[in-house]
Amino acid sequence: MVFLSVVNFVRSRGPDEFWRKRKIFRLAAHYIGRRRNCYSVTIKMVHRALVYATKGRKLRKDDIRDLRDTRIIAGCDQHDIKYPDFKEGLLRCNILLNRKSLSDLAAWEPYSFKALTDIAKQKLQEDGLNVTDPPTNVITRGMLK
Amino acid sequence: MTTLKRVQQWATFARIWHVFDASWQNPFDSAQLLKKYLLGLYKPIYHPMNDCGDHVIVINCSDVALPGEEWKKRVYFHHTGYPGGASWTLAHELHKKDPVLILKKAVYNSMDGNLQRRYTMERLHLFPDANVPAKLMGNVSNQIRQIRPIPKRLDHYTQKEIEEYPKLIDYPKDYILR
Repeated sequence: MVFLSVVNFVRSRGPDEFWRKRKIFRLAAHYIGRRRNCYSVTIKMVHRALVYATKGRKLRKDDIRDLRDTRIIAGCDQHDIKYPDFKEGLLRCNILLNRKSLSDLAAWEPYSFKALTDIAKQKLQEDGLNVTDPPTNVITRGMLK
Repeated sequence: MTTLKRVQQWATFARIWHVFDASWQNPFDSAQLLKKYLLGLYKPIYHPMNDCGDHVIVINCSDVALPGEEWKKRVYFHHTGYPGGASWTLAHELHKKDPVLILKKAVYNSMDGNLQRRYTMERLHLFPDANVPAKLMGNVSNQIRQIRPIPKRLDHYTQKEIEEYPKLIDYPKDYILR
């Protein structure tokens, strides 16, 4: 069931039954038992697998997004700021980092992440929002004037 | 690997032991809090496939406070597997049987049902009172903040505090208090 060359793969297109089935069996090469040997079972399993693969493309993106959110929330909790507040603060500072960057910073660059939370908190405090534990080490343009 | 990096790695990946005082806490809200520590959700290095959960010791489980009418209304279901083996236990009955079970079930049900759940529960150590073996208590390096303050009962105030408590009116002399 294995194509040893591109030539065989090209030959497997066409009306011939053997070659048509061979394409399906190729996809089921790693299955166990009748799933890989009996065509009527194999075709069902392969169709199913392809449907799963289609759905999985969307689910994988959702899972990664959830994981990144979890990591950012964990980072925010360490610095006493809520995730929505943090995002709002960054947005108002025009810091447009996406989830991937923020979660990577939270995991690998904790000091950079802390700096971001400080900036967000300072901005929120200047805009008159309620901030617990405002930072003292952020210097803004308003202070310098 | 420098000494700093070695220590940093150790500090990042070591299992931490937390202690939580469950007295007067809502077990279902507490479960959501404890879950974060048991699964390691509070760490920015969290990943479902990496084993970064911590140990949590919960003391005073017998003093949990269920909200509203839950002691009378909440029912725990159990089935032995045999025909007619179903049984329903009220929360106060279950609490009398084993004072840690309500919190244990709350935490267990707060987590997703997967193969890891049983092993995660192994890291939760529940005690009905504050008597924790010294062997466990020696590991503890963090205390989890309670969700709400413990209310102070009237009989815990001194007579002086009660008399000096600020009040809006004095009752008239001839007013009959019942």
